Amino acid sequence: MTPVLELRGIDKSFGPVQVLHDVAFSVYPGEVTALVGDNGAGKSTLVKCVGGIHPIDSGEYLFEGKPVQVGSPRDAAGLGIEIVYQDLALCDNLDIVQNMFLGREHKRGIVLDEDTMEEMAARTLESLSVRTVKSIRQHVSSLSGGQRQTVAIAKAVLWNSKVVILDEPTAALGVAQTAQVLELVRRLADQGLAVVLISHNMNDVFAVSDRIAALYLGRMAAQVKTSDVTHAQVVELITSGRSGDLGLTNGVPA
Amino acid sequence: MRAGPSQEEIRRHNLGALLRHVHLSGPTSRAELTSRMGLNRSTIMALTADLTAAGLVREELPRETGRAGRPSLVVRPESARVYVFALDVGVDRLVAARVGLGGAVLDRRETVRRRGPFSLEEVVGPLAAFARQMHRRTRPDTVCVGVAAAFSGGVAQSDGVVRFGPNMGSVDVPFGEEMARRLALGLPVTVGNDANLAAMAEHLRGVGVGCRDLVYLHGDVGVGGGVIAGGALLGGHQGFGGEVGHMVVNPQGRLCGCGSRGCLEAEVGERALLEAAGRFGSQVGREAVRAVVSAADRGDIVAQAALSRVGDWLGLGVANLVNVFNPEMVVFGGMLREVYLGSAAQVRSRLNLDALSPSREHLRLRTTALGDDATLVGAAELAFAQVLADPLEVLARAGS
Ligand SMILES: Nc1ncnc2c1ncn2[C@@H]1O[C@H](COP(=O)(O)OP(=O)(O)OP(=O)(O)O)[C@@H](O)[C@H]1O
Ligand SMILES: [Mg+2]
Repeated sequence: MTPVLELRGIDKSFGPVQVLHDVAFSVYPGEVTALVGDNGAGKSTLVKCVGGIHPIDSGEYLFEGKPVQVGSPRDAAGLGIEIVYQDLALCDNLDIVQNMFLGREHKRGIVLDEDTMEEMAARTLESLSVRTVKSIRQHVSSLSGGQRQTVAIAKAVLWNSKVVILDEPTAALGVAQTAQVLELVRRLADQGLAVVLISHNMNDVFAVSDRIAALYLGRMAAQVKTSDVTHAQVVELITSGRSGDLGLTNGVPA
Repeated sequence: MRAGPSQEEIRRHNLGALLRHVHLSGPTSRAELTSRMGLNRSTIMALTADLTAAGLVREELPRETGRAGRPSLVVRPESARVYVFALDVGVDRLVAARVGLGGAVLDRRETVRRRGPFSLEEVVGPLAAFARQMHRRTRPDTVCVGVAAAFSGGVAQSDGVVRFGPNMGSVDVPFGEEMARRLALGLPVTVGNDANLAAMAEHLRGVGVGCRDLVYLHGDVGVGGGVIAGGALLGGHQGFGGEVGHMVVNPQGRLCGCGSRGCLEAEVGERALLEAAGRFGSQVGREAVRAVVSAADRGDIVAQAALSRVGDWLGLGVANLVNVFNPEMVVFGGMLREVYLGSAAQVRSRLNLDALSPSREHLRLRTTALGDDATLVGAAELAFAQVLADPLEVLARAGS
C-alpha cells in the first residue's frame, strides 16, 4: 500500500538547536498511525512541519506518492491535510457551525449561506455518529472538553480531508470522553481517512492504532505495525530509542 | 431428480430479500435495488407493488434531487405501521421496546432488576406491563409482527427454554412460553441468548456491518459472546454455542459461577476486576467498573494492576478465539468496552505474543457501536426474522 503522506530525511532546527534529525514518517489511508515519544521528542514539531507551520530545512515531502512543496498551512489544507493542534483553536464566542466554517467561508470563491453551512455541519457530525451535542447552534464555550475535541475533529473532516492529525486529543479528558474520542478516531480511519494520533497513553495507542511511529530525541526510532509489538517494546523505544532488533543503532534506524 | 424452486418460492424469497434490504439499509431507490439485488427493473417494480399493497413499504419521490432527469422512486419501510416488541432480560435491568420496521426504536420502557434469586414472575410481570402500555399507545392501523427476547442465559434452540443462567440464578425457565401467555398478542415469543443476539446486532447494524466473520465479546456480570462465521451465527448442536466466557484460560484460576475454574468469565468478569482492584462489595455493575478504569487513569496503582491483570487474561482469551475462528473483527461490548479501552496495551501485547501471526495481521479490534442497546437491537432483529423470511404470509396472519 502506498502511504498517502510520506516524509523522508526531514531535518529541522530552531536556530542552533536541531530538533528533528533525518526523520522518516509514513501514514496510510484507512489506518490510525500513533506517533509516540517522550516530552520534547519532537512530535508536535514534526506535525507542524507536515502542516506547513514550520518550514523544513531539508528532506522530502511526498503526498500520494508525488513530491510536493508545503510552505504554509494553506498548502497543507489544499492537499487535504487537517491538523487539530495540541492547543486547539476554537473560538469560544462562536457557535459550533460558525467554528466549523471559520476561515473557510469563502472557499473556492463560493459564499455559503447559513442554511447550507448548518446542514453541512449537521451532516458531518451525523456521519461521525456524534450524538452528544444538543444543538449545533450552541456556543463552543458551553461544551465539555470532549465535545470541543469532537467539534475540532468534525471541522477537520468537513473539508473532505485525506489526512487528519490529532495532537494529544485525549490529554485533558476524563475516561468517558476519552473513550468517545478514541472511537471517533477509529471511525474516521474506518471511513478511509489516514489518521495520526499523538498520545502518551499506551492504552489509547494500542486500543485504536494500526501502526506506531516512535520518536526518540528527534530521531525516528522505529515505525512498526501495532500487531507486531508489545507494550514493553514500545516503552523501550520511547525511553531508549531501542528494543531488541528494533530501533536506533548509533543514531541510525535499523 | 429434485425439482427446482417453484415460482412461488422464488417470489417469496425475493420479497423477503427486498424487504430485508430496506429494513437494514433504509430508504433505497428502485434503481439501487435493481443493481444491488441483481434483478431487472420490472421484477423490482412488481415486488415493490406487492409489499406496498401489504403495507410493508411505501414508495416516495426522494427528498432532494441532486441530478437532472426523472428521479428514481425511493422505497422506504413502513416504520410507523409495522413493528415488533423487543425485550431484554439482563442481570441488572429489564427493557422492553417497540421497534419499527427499519430498526427505529419507537417507544421504550426500562426498569432496574435487583440481583438475587430468580423469579419468573418478577421478570415477566414488568415486561408484560411495559408491552401493554406501549401497545395501548399505538394507532389502530399499526401491526405487531413479532416478539423476541434477549436473555442472559443459555437458551435451547428447540423450545426457547432458558437452560442455564448462572448469573441470573435461573435453571430450566420456560420464559418464552410464559411471556407469550402473559402478552396475549397471539404471537409466540422467540428467545435468544443476549450476547448471541448482540453479536448479530453488531453484524447487521453496528460496527461489524459488511463483516462476515466476527467474534463479539459481551461483558455483563459474566462474559458472553457470539461467533458470526460466514455471516451466520454459530449456534452449535442445541443453540448453546458461542459461550466464550466459559472457555478455560487458567485451569488453576478463580472459581466460576458455572462450577468450573479459570473460565474467561471468572478471570475478566465484573467480580474479577472489582476484587483485583480491592473494590468488591461496595458498588457493583457498570458504574463500579467505570470507577476502576477512572481510578487507573488518574494514577491509582492498584486499579492499574487490576486492569492490567484482567487485560492479560482477556488478551489470552481473544488469542484463542482468533486462532480458532480467524475472524476479521473482534468486538468488545457491554462492560468489556471500558475494560478493553482501559487495558488495550495489555490485551494486544498478549494477543501479539499468543495469536498466530497471519490471523492477527489483518484482525480489527473494535468497541461496540450499539453500546448498551446491542442486546435489545439483537432481540428486535430476531423478532423481525419471520416477517423478513415470508413477508406476505406473516403480515396476513398478524393482520387477521
Ligand atoms: N518554536 C520553537 N523554538 C525553539 N525550540 C522549539 C520550538 N518548538 C519546539 N522546540 C523544541 O523542540 C523540541 C521538541 O518539541 P516538541 O514540542 O516537538 O515536543 P513533543 O514531542 O511534542 O513533546 P510533548 O510530548 O511534550 O508535547 C523541544 O526541545 C522544544 O523545546
Ligand atoms: Mg507536543
